Amino acid sequence: MDRALAATPAVPLGQDAMYDEMFEAGGEVRPAYAPLNAHVAKLSPAELGDRQKTLERSFLLQGITFTVYGAESSTERIIPTDLFPRIIDAPTWTRIELGLKQRLLALNMFLADLYGAQKILMDGVVPRDLVLGAPSYRREMVGLYVPNSAYANVCGSDLIRNETGEFMVLEDNLRVPSGVSYMLANRDASKRTFPEAFGAARVRPIENYPDLLLSTLKSMAGEWRSNPQVVVMTPGVYNSAYYEHAYLARLMGTPLVEGRDLVVHDNMVYMRTTQGLRRVDVIYRRVDDDFIDPLTFRRDSALGVAGLFNAYRAGSVVIANAPGTGVADDKAVYAYVPDIIQYYLDQDPILPNVETFLCRDPSSLQHVLANLDKLVVKAVGASGGYGMLIGPHASQAQRDEFADKLKADPANYIAQPTLKLSTAPCLIDGAIEPRHVDLRPFILSGAKTVVTPGALTRVALTRGSLVVNSSQGGGSKDTWVLAEGDTPA
Amino acid sequence: MMLARVADSLYWIGRYIERAEHFCRLSEVMLSSVVDQTDSARQAAHIVLSAMGEDEVDAEAALRHPMTSVRNITLDREEPGSIVNSLSHARENARQVRDQITTETWERLNMLYLRITSPQADMAFSHNPSGYLQEIISDLHLFKGAADATMSHGEGWRFLQLGVYLERAQLMARLLDVCFGDAAGGYHLDEHFAQLSVLRMACALEPYLRVYGAEIEQKHMINFILFDPEYPRSIRFSAARIQELLTGIGSQIEPLDGPRPERLAGRLRARVEFADFEEFSRAGASAYLAIVVAECARIHEAVYETFVAYPLEERLPA
Repeated sequence: MDRALAATPAVPLGQDAMYDEMFEAGGEVRPAYAPLNAHVAKLSPAELGDRQKTLERSFLLQGITFTVYGAESSTERIIPTDLFPRIIDAPTWTRIELGLKQRLLALNMFLADLYGAQKILMDGVVPRDLVLGAPSYRREMVGLYVPNSAYANVCGSDLIRNETGEFMVLEDNLRVPSGVSYMLANRDASKRTFPEAFGAARVRPIENYPDLLLSTLKSMAGEWRSNPQVVVMTPGVYNSAYYEHAYLARLMGTPLVEGRDLVVHDNMVYMRTTQGLRRVDVIYRRVDDDFIDPLTFRRDSALGVAGLFNAYRAGSVVIANAPGTGVADDKAVYAYVPDIIQYYLDQDPILPNVETFLCRDPSSLQHVLANLDKLVVKAVGASGGYGMLIGPHASQAQRDEFADKLKADPANYIAQPTLKLSTAPCLIDGAIEPRHVDLRPFILSGAKTVVTPGALTRVALTRGSLVVNSSQGGGSKDTWVLAEGDTPA
Repeated sequence: MMLARVADSLYWIGRYIERAEHFCRLSEVMLSSVVDQTDSARQAAHIVLSAMGEDEVDAEAALRHPMTSVRNITLDREEPGSIVNSLSHARENARQVRDQITTETWERLNMLYLRITSPQADMAFSHNPSGYLQEIISDLHLFKGAADATMSHGEGWRFLQLGVYLERAQLMARLLDVCFGDAAGGYHLDEHFAQLSVLRMACALEPYLRVYGAEIEQKHMINFILFDPEYPRSIRFSAARIQELLTGIGSQIEPLDGPRPERLAGRLRARVEFADFEEFSRAGASAYLAIVVAECARIHEAVYETFVAYPLEERLPA
């Protein structure tokens, strides 16, 4: 009866045993997946193919696309999306939620400290030069008042599941994390793809994310403006995440502005409307620190607003996330997050870190150089899957080249063991095959902290690949977080 | 109240959509004209090319290969005024204001854009050129219908409509000038076929027949396309909508110099509402139409100065 899914071997990739989201080691379907499995088993491969096509067509029509520039003309491709949801049961989710709240609370306290009294540096918990020397540390932020001490209002952490099924934090994204629109679009699609299974599984809703985001943003200005004007700021239509910026603005009912729509006068921020200038109170900016204000940050930026940072400094506008949050998601600072949680909250971290070697430390550097074929090496400043070496998948020449880079600038690199990311079944060219996945949940923090009961599951669509970034051939799928109660039969 | 840039984009969506629809209709008429090898058909094809802005030499060249020239007008991205370019510009503007238009409206336009820019477009066009153009026209009607039925009829919708009607008034003025203006040498549309073709270019054939019957006269054609109060493509109809839309948009702000856009629109409306064929003849077709076109252009400028590209220093809080 499990014609479709049970035919999938649990350990298919010819490597060591790894955790599969849907199947136990013996090949039985995990209880959380039972309703989905029962439903999918009724569908023929052709029917599944049709549903996948319908899904892709709806993404194309909605414009959930990115542009591929070719020799002749540019074409638009959809962000690859897989029709099978990934499912997380209630107890597992509770732990993730608590862990994420704990982590973001500690990181916001860390930021408030770094831009305030710097106690953690004086106590020697985190090395002073590591933080103050990071390019993402913004001196301009020192001593500024941030309401609720909420520096990072929107956070998207990357979690992975190791071979024992334990969730670990791979990365914190406190700058301008994206992907939430794909989470919502995937949900919309999966409800239509598997309506019966969706109903039977008792999935927690995520559709109120835009409301939560809006109230989080408003709570940042609540103290002095009763009905603050919120805007979403985008670098513009050519940005790869533009779809998301427009999507959030539309669902929050706020204007979507570009830098050229804003002007600063007497430390007040205004937008140019058809009826003259209108005051702006909260800017949810999807533009990097460097580009928000050419007077304060990069002078060659055409995306920003001259004088915006001074207006922020004067307290007449909220910028969310606050400038300078990037220092807390720096890949080197990452290694200290368990200590940071311990230091501010006096608690053990609920979600563990992945073991990390800081190459700035000579003994770690020796270890990394000796084990390049087993490790993943990442540049501290880079993101999006660029500037990294996956040791086991690289050639000897690539490893030698990276070894030279490491020796030349050890402080710029960290190394982690090659992780056995968990796998989940995906429809690949008409056949069901396991692919590696990670998990990006979204956490909002203003007057209070909320974790949306859902996430973006990113998929490495290439067989055996561990890279899930959409810029590197990754796709996504919906994530069902199940409600408390009996495990569905 | 909306972002000035957003109003600008919505306005241009309207203009590009209207231009694309008009060019589809012209091209479609041209395709059916060249099937007939008569002088009158030739005249109709010539009118189409002139109405699209081709000069005498280019028009002659295009008439030797009518199929290729219609294909280029439809699908050639190198032609600035081609239908594919108008639709691409409209869609690009819509993407910029994706948060301001409803999903239903956006999806109509996006679908049309994806189809006309797909690698299969050329084949689909060659297979049935006339059908291809008619399909674009009906998709554009769906777009306008979706906008009408799903968008709030507030400021944004008004800017969209303003673009449609300003473009329409100018396109119709251009068409009339090509048919009856000085360059055409007066009223030379003697042949029934040419007259019929022009009415089809203006999407006026059926409404015209209902008013004047099948005995087509040039005087009636001019009266109808310029001055009819109910036919939705007449210049009078467009002028009335332009004035209403601008009054609806309103503005709490006085323009720096020159009259407000709604005042200019009122002037245009009065000009075509109270004029008649005698006045048109007396002024001379080209001269009269030139005034209409110039007034449309002034309205466009005034809209920009008032709502979009106003100097900031005048609008800062005291």
